[in-house]
Amino acid sequence: MNFKKIRAIILLIFIITVFYLLIDSRIQAYSLAPTLTQADLSVYSWYEIPIYYIWDYASHGWICLLFAFVVAGLFYEFIPKDFIARRMGSKKFSGYLIGLVMAPFFTVCSCTMVPIFGSIIYAGGGIGPAITFLLMAPAANILSVIVTGEMIGWDIAVIRIIVSAITAIVAGVFISKTSWGKSIEKRFMIKNSKSKGSVQLAKTDLDERLWSSMKFSGFLAKKIIPYFIAGLIAVSYVEAYLPQELVSTYMTGITGILLASVIGGPLYTPTLVEIALGRTLLALGMSKAALLSWLMGQPYDIPNMVAVSRIVKWKVVINYALIALAFSILFGILYGILIGVL
Amino acid sequence: MKKIKLEVFGPEPACIRCTAVKNISDRLAKRLKKEGFEIEVVKLNIMGKETIEKYGILVSPALAINDVVKFMGRIPSEDEVEREIRKA
Repeated sequence: MNFKKIRAIILLIFIITVFYLLIDSRIQAYSLAPTLTQADLSVYSWYEIPIYYIWDYASHGWICLLFAFVVAGLFYEFIPKDFIARRMGSKKFSGYLIGLVMAPFFTVCSCTMVPIFGSIIYAGGGIGPAITFLLMAPAANILSVIVTGEMIGWDIAVIRIIVSAITAIVAGVFISKTSWGKSIEKRFMIKNSKSKGSVQLAKTDLDERLWSSMKFSGFLAKKIIPYFIAGLIAVSYVEAYLPQELVSTYMTGITGILLASVIGGPLYTPTLVEIALGRTLLALGMSKAALLSWLMGQPYDIPNMVAVSRIVKWKVVINYALIALAFSILFGILYGILIGVL
Repeated sequence: MKKIKLEVFGPEPACIRCTAVKNISDRLAKRLKKEGFEIEVVKLNIMGKETIEKYGILVSPALAINDVVKFMGRIPSEDEVEREIRKA
């Protein structure tokens, strides 16, 4: 047995173990979400609260986080990127579909997302599919879907994907039909005539691909975990000190939905922190409908909008943000009516 | 003397992962020089007009060897790139 085979086997064993751990947690039915409540936390002094809170998260959630990062790495490594990149430039409806289906897997890293958005427009894919991709990306990236599902609930995770998809398509189609949307397409259109380069990806061995996927998981973890921990420190104080009456008064009903969608967007929370904060607010009495609006707020946070505005006009950015905001309110209300608790 | 052109694609300013690919390319260029390879490394904007005209949409970081994109959306290991350079 040579080195390559041994490496592939070790990596496969590791991945299977991670999958097994998650499945096992399901079978044994123990919670991967933290268990401390406001009553538990209130007995600690201010400097102890974050420590106990993060320990609570780490001791319960490590399997879920490990699984989420490993799966994100695997997806990113093994999706046929050349196939998708070629199809993404299509102006037909399939462009929208590709933008929609692929966004979740591509965009765990924001330094990939905005360039792809720009490239879709420049390559003649049209502004519609580009917007669809952009809006779908943060709302349904594989990492936050897994963490939302495990930490809050799979019902809300699945509904979030569905409503994000609808919002992304509507915003994309709408902007592509406007005259200013079309003018952007015309300005950026590139004639593909003098094409002389080609894409023929090198064949890579399994061990190298697995290793590369693990390295990407590590890269994501290194990028996200420090912010996640910083976010958790803030969330721990919310959990410990925010009066429940305040949350159950203002974060329920139509007011709750409006507040959640307005704060959820511009308030820039690093990836995964919005889930932790949403979970805490839910525990303190926020309605599930408001939680959905809250989670839908991601695509129109401020840093994201600034990055996009370097490529297209502010008019486009404001419009898609408003559509996303309107839909987060609308779907929050619809979801509240559906489950019978607004 | 075998001439090889390496094009590294990434957003401007370059992201960490693109810089990693650029560094791998630079290291290889230096190392393979002794074996008679003349390797030119350039960093290009993935959203640039020329890039899209030539290759279409790419996923960053991407690496092309003699006008053929060999890697995209991942950081290849130095061995992988070296293998592809020798094949080119």
